[in-house]
Amino acid sequence: MATETETRRAPGGGAGKDGVRPADRPEQERWRLHRMLAELRDDAGDLAEHLLLHWRLILGLVVAAGFGALAFAWSGLYSVAATAGHYPLFRYFLAYGLRQSVETHTISISVPSNLEDPALLRRGAGHYQGGCSPCHGAPGQARNPITRRMLPEPPYLAPRIADWGPAQLFWIVKHGIKYAGMPAWVAPAREDEVWAVVAFLQRLPELDVPGYRQLAHGETAEATTGAGEGLDLLLLNGPVGNGIAACARCHGAAGAGDPTGAFPRLQGQTEDYLFAALQAYALGTRPSGIMQPVAAELNEAEMRLLARHYAGQGGPALAAPEPASGASLALGRRIALEGLPERGIAACAGCHSPKPEGVHPYYPRLSGQVPGYIAGQLELWMRGVRGGKHEAPTARIMAHAIGIDPDRPPAREDLWPLRRQEIEAVAAWYAADPPTGPAPALAER
Amino acid sequence: MHHSVLSPMGPEAARIAELSWLLFLGGAAIFLLVMLLLALALGGGPGVRRRLGARRAILAGGVAFPVLVLSALLVHTLGVAAALGLGEPAPLRIEVTGRQYWWEVRYPDREVVTANEIHIPVGRAVELLVDSGDVIHSFWVPSLHGKIDMIPGRVNRRRFSLDRPGVLRGQCAEFCGTQHALMAFFVVAEEEAEFERWLERLRAPVAKPEEPFLAQGWQAFGQAGCGACHAVRGTPWAGRSGPDLTLLGGRLSLAAGTLDNHLATLAGWIAGPQDIKPGNRMPAFNTVLDGPELRAVAAWLESLR
Repeated sequence: MATETETRRAPGGGAGKDGVRPADRPEQERWRLHRMLAELRDDAGDLAEHLLLHWRLILGLVVAAGFGALAFAWSGLYSVAATAGHYPLFRYFLAYGLRQSVETHTISISVPSNLEDPALLRRGAGHYQGGCSPCHGAPGQARNPITRRMLPEPPYLAPRIADWGPAQLFWIVKHGIKYAGMPAWVAPAREDEVWAVVAFLQRLPELDVPGYRQLAHGETAEATTGAGEGLDLLLLNGPVGNGIAACARCHGAAGAGDPTGAFPRLQGQTEDYLFAALQAYALGTRPSGIMQPVAAELNEAEMRLLARHYAGQGGPALAAPEPASGASLALGRRIALEGLPERGIAACAGCHSPKPEGVHPYYPRLSGQVPGYIAGQLELWMRGVRGGKHEAPTARIMAHAIGIDPDRPPAREDLWPLRRQEIEAVAAWYAADPPTGPAPALAER
Repeated sequence: MHHSVLSPMGPEAARIAELSWLLFLGGAAIFLLVMLLLALALGGGPGVRRRLGARRAILAGGVAFPVLVLSALLVHTLGVAAALGLGEPAPLRIEVTGRQYWWEVRYPDREVVTANEIHIPVGRAVELLVDSGDVIHSFWVPSLHGKIDMIPGRVNRRRFSLDRPGVLRGQCAEFCGTQHALMAFFVVAEEEAEFERWLERLRAPVAKPEEPFLAQGWQAFGQAGCGACHAVRGTPWAGRSGPDLTLLGGRLSLAAGTLDNHLATLAGWIAGPQDIKPGNRMPAFNTVLDGPELRAVAAWLESLR
């Protein structure tokens, strides 16, 4: 059939070549294309014809292959032992599939511009030390020998980071990897936390041992266990010793927060509030992939002790990394003290600032709080991550107070009752407000 | 309580009621006339039927009559509507802002703010200015005036007065969200002296109560952060995203006509407003305030009369 078409069309092509319009190149190109398409059509026709003729044979082959695969699985000849490894060809195939899957799924992810933010780095490092280093190791820390016997073996990450872009790292950290033992992020709604880990991972290849310790352990980087942490901590260094050590890595032994603003200040909060927060984190009702694994390790008595310890600490607020402008502080002051009634935003100070009647023990004190933390939490409420129906009723009070229906949060950022600039202003104003002393003990309530 | 177009409480409402009666009675008369003609057309003698079927009769009854009647009605209605907009100069101004799902009421010349209840002195010309803080609402007190749309970014005005004392019920008349049906309010028409006394009480600053139970309520009110959204005159609490609570105990209803106003309903409302009026802006305080605190807060608010 193909030859027939060719011979039929050939005179036409010849006429173009030496006829009225000689050397008409586009015309020639078109002819060639036509011919190719015709051949392709004919080939496809032939194939279809063959398939139709021999359909019984083909169906038989497919069924036989299926039974063969089933028989192979039934026989148990294939070893699922981690010690058995993969055949080299199959290993390449898996690696190829992994790479392609990650690349395809990250096409539409846009990378935030603040991945260089030191607070993000520090937050990511703090989590990496607790959540990732047991399997993936860290500068100065070997991987756990048990997890190294997994198949595939969790790689030491520093030399592997360059293989992936930030969006791909984000996707892997958020979703985990099927059949590879890589878990998904504990709180899928907290993409902000996942980006913090990505920010850290991108820095990981450049870090030496002291640099890593500084990022991952903060003020406790140089401290030997227990030293200089006061009598209180020494007393706690029984069952809660590990708990305190995990808290202190990020929040500091006295709960002063972190100079970069990566972690909230715990000093001066009430025992009630801190205890409720630990419980909510542990249960996952207050979503956080960073706090949930830490809090879930604690029992109720340990939570009480830790809450009491941090509620009893006092001290000046850390200086904000970047002082806010006067205009921003004025805007923040207005929102904090008067609210924005036309948008349903209540005055923040009604619940969060010192007043003669006292602040309710379930409400957090915000004076002197780290601005990035306040802004980050407000964003979580705007996005509906906080205040959901499983979270404590106080979180729903907060949603209503900032003009959000917790069951129907705004769909897009331009529908947020507070604009980003206003969120930052109010956070800056509270950060600059002098903090109050240690909270009164629970017994006073 | 008056809540009907046919029970007018002032001259403006009376004109609307007259117009309504004119339409009801006129409509009824025309309906009877048409029925009579129909009966004649079906059962009348040949002479009557011929006359009814004549071209002239059809033109007169089918074209000339409706055109004349409807044109006359249009002129009359426009005249009534125009007359309704006129009033004496320098009236008492009242501003009402519709919000999901309550009414903010302000007396700008007397510097007071209240909610869900409008007090009006009998016989005084009143200028009403309405707008909306969120979506479109409609201010409708059938015994007072027609519907007045409340539109965000636009102020609509009406003038009116009331002839006699009484309580009038109003209702939002434009679907505004899930709790549109529970967005009512009351207009209290009272004698001038009584109105002035009410204003006086509304203007007086509220002091911290001496009685220990009420003082506990005051304390818990502040601690729970109620003042972030609600104002009570003369106290540090000046929130404006929720209704002003000065003289709350004296109001005819709670939550914009949703509940009767007494200690139990108020405590119940504070504990679980989302169970009573789902989708309103007030969060539940049942976990922040324990039982005694809840009762104390309700008792203190009920004492504001």
